[in-house]
Amino acid sequence: MEKNYNVCTGCGMLCDDIEVESEKNIVNKVYTACRVGVAHMKEGRESAVFRVDDKPVDEATAISEAVAILKNAKNPLIFGLGTSTNETQKLAIELARKTSATLDDTSSFCLGRVVEALLQNRFKACTLDDVRNKADVTIFWGADPSDSHPRHLSKYSYFPRGTEKQRGWEEDRTAIAIDVRKSHTAKICGNNFFQVPPGGDAEFIDALIAGLSGKLPKTSYNFPPKRILELANILKGAKFGVVFVGLGLVYSLENLEPLFRLMDALNEKANFHLIPMVGHYNMRGFNENLFEETGYVNSVKFEDGAVKHGPEYSIVEALKAKTVDAALIIGSDPLSSLPRSIAKNLLEIPVISMDPCETLTSRSSKVYINTAISGVESGGSATRMDGVKVEFKPVVETKRLSDEAVLKKIMEAL
Amino acid sequence: MTNAMELYQMLPKTNCKKCGKTSCMAFAVALMAHELTADDCPPLKEEPKYKENYGKISDLFKASEGATSTGLIVHEELCFGCGNCVVACPPNVANDPYGVGSGNAPRDAKKLILIIEDGVVKAQNVEECRRFGKNKILCNGCIVTCPVEAIEFV
Amino acid sequence: MDFGSFLKSPEIKVKVVTYRDIFQDKAMIENRFGEDYRDRSAIIKLDSADFKQLNVKKGDTVTLKNSFGTIVVKAEESGYEPSHKGIAYMPNSPWSNMLVSDETGGTGVPKFKDISATITSAKGAKVTEPGF
Repeated sequence: MEKNYNVCTGCGMLCDDIEVESEKNIVNKVYTACRVGVAHMKEGRESAVFRVDDKPVDEATAISEAVAILKNAKNPLIFGLGTSTNETQKLAIELARKTSATLDDTSSFCLGRVVEALLQNRFKACTLDDVRNKADVTIFWGADPSDSHPRHLSKYSYFPRGTEKQRGWEEDRTAIAIDVRKSHTAKICGNNFFQVPPGGDAEFIDALIAGLSGKLPKTSYNFPPKRILELANILKGAKFGVVFVGLGLVYSLENLEPLFRLMDALNEKANFHLIPMVGHYNMRGFNENLFEETGYVNSVKFEDGAVKHGPEYSIVEALKAKTVDAALIIGSDPLSSLPRSIAKNLLEIPVISMDPCETLTSRSSKVYINTAISGVESGGSATRMDGVKVEFKPVVETKRLSDEAVLKKIMEAL
Repeated sequence: MTNAMELYQMLPKTNCKKCGKTSCMAFAVALMAHELTADDCPPLKEEPKYKENYGKISDLFKASEGATSTGLIVHEELCFGCGNCVVACPPNVANDPYGVGSGNAPRDAKKLILIIEDGVVKAQNVEECRRFGKNKILCNGCIVTCPVEAIEFV
Repeated sequence: MDFGSFLKSPEIKVKVVTYRDIFQDKAMIENRFGEDYRDRSAIIKLDSADFKQLNVKKGDTVTLKNSFGTIVVKAEESGYEPSHKGIAYMPNSPWSNMLVSDETGGTGVPKFKDISATITSAKGAKVTEPGF
């Protein structure tokens, strides 16, 4: 019997095998999803809220106020979209063009660099399904999927049987964690956990590269060379290896050069792919959609039909330099997720916040539009952390507008 | 986790056979297997000098009242539903190779021992567990794959 | 005579590394302004030697301070081995972000996982409210 599965938009894994029991548009029971996924799917409770200057208003007033802010702005910032569908993201790109906006998402301060390099074919890519079916060696580097993508190990990267991995994880696969602390994932990796000091990743990479070519691996923090050589030996024997790159590694590297060196060295001796541990369910979609339109994955500024790109158009630098004079924040909470020393500059400009839930940002916004939970109360398509497109229908219905519907109304009014 | 030897140390060690077993050691093994309880040893239950040990043994197994008959306990508050145990459990894999065995949702949850419901692991059909019955083995597939020690056998 | 009262309360320099915690994530989804999210965010995990030196008990509040901000959070021992004296761990949250430097070298990427701060006992002070 074919089962009716839902997609969970709780994280970048986009698990597509979730069974849900609901009644009167309230989700009662969720099967197979992790705790975060369940919380995400049961999140919808509120009825629509629109606010201007902290006072409740109707939909039309909120939209026209938002339009007025965007019209008056010379350089508005459009930011967020990591938890929006591909369709919404494409609309937002169009809106950014129309309003000569600066457009950015959270990837500019997390994994954007890695996704960009992937889209430029600087790394060998593979899908999570390939990982399940073929991978014999997986490395979690600066990543703790047990906490960030709870089903990662069970659905793809360590425990499942795959077409070419039929004998089970103990015999068929080796999982390795490289991290600054013994995370939940590191714990599962047992003896294959390599603890590096904070900021020590680049050196560890070069030591590992030395080890791969049989040289003595040296680090300033005296990591036992024998263990690095053991690791190098495991990696050399990989028939289908995957490096899962997390924020811990990216934040530890000044630039991606060490990672390029490592992947090249691994591919001289074995066969290694790379997948970024994308957090938000459709951050990768944003990167790909913008890349298709402009050749850049984030941090762009539209001006007179042209596109400018550079870190100065990232949310962090734009707020620091106070170059933006209004902000439309879609499904994101920069007042929580950015350093306060930078985020506080948002308080000086008019902000429109579109979000399914109240956040520090929504509470400080001039206009707040309470939207449907993307993927639970509204459908569309998204791009998984490994680049695979996933389509989904809403799990329950809501009276709240989707962010796509709100953007359409804003576009029409402009 | 207790073993039969520790239990034996707390028994009368008289090999009186009143429990129906041939020796106190055999009784200890039966206790471990959850075949018999402390109440099945009359001297232990009735004689005042064994009162303390009777209490201890009863408490040991009381702790596992929430447990299934294989002694499996799920600490729900620790579990976050990663599903590692569901996918690694050998009987789960055997009964549903293309569902949970391949990392996916169950094709038929009724046949499985471990499933994830509302983000937390749930144990059922424990008689299928490899720790159960005559040919049981000390399988620990669900324990070593758990990142938070949410599963325990008592 | 209580000599302790003459001693300046110990101040420790730490490097704070932020991380993600699934129960904290779940609490955030349920209510960003709820107690559960605060309890799981406004904490710092210390090496046991640092913990002892601060002369605090589990759950006592401590003050973390640097030139970017000051926060009061609850302290606990990390339980991690081997010793990580001078390195402390905090779930990534609005609390940890109050200490993150605005210095980015123009890259657009703040050092979220590399925070330098000093810790002292907060002597019964309440956990910081993250509002603006």
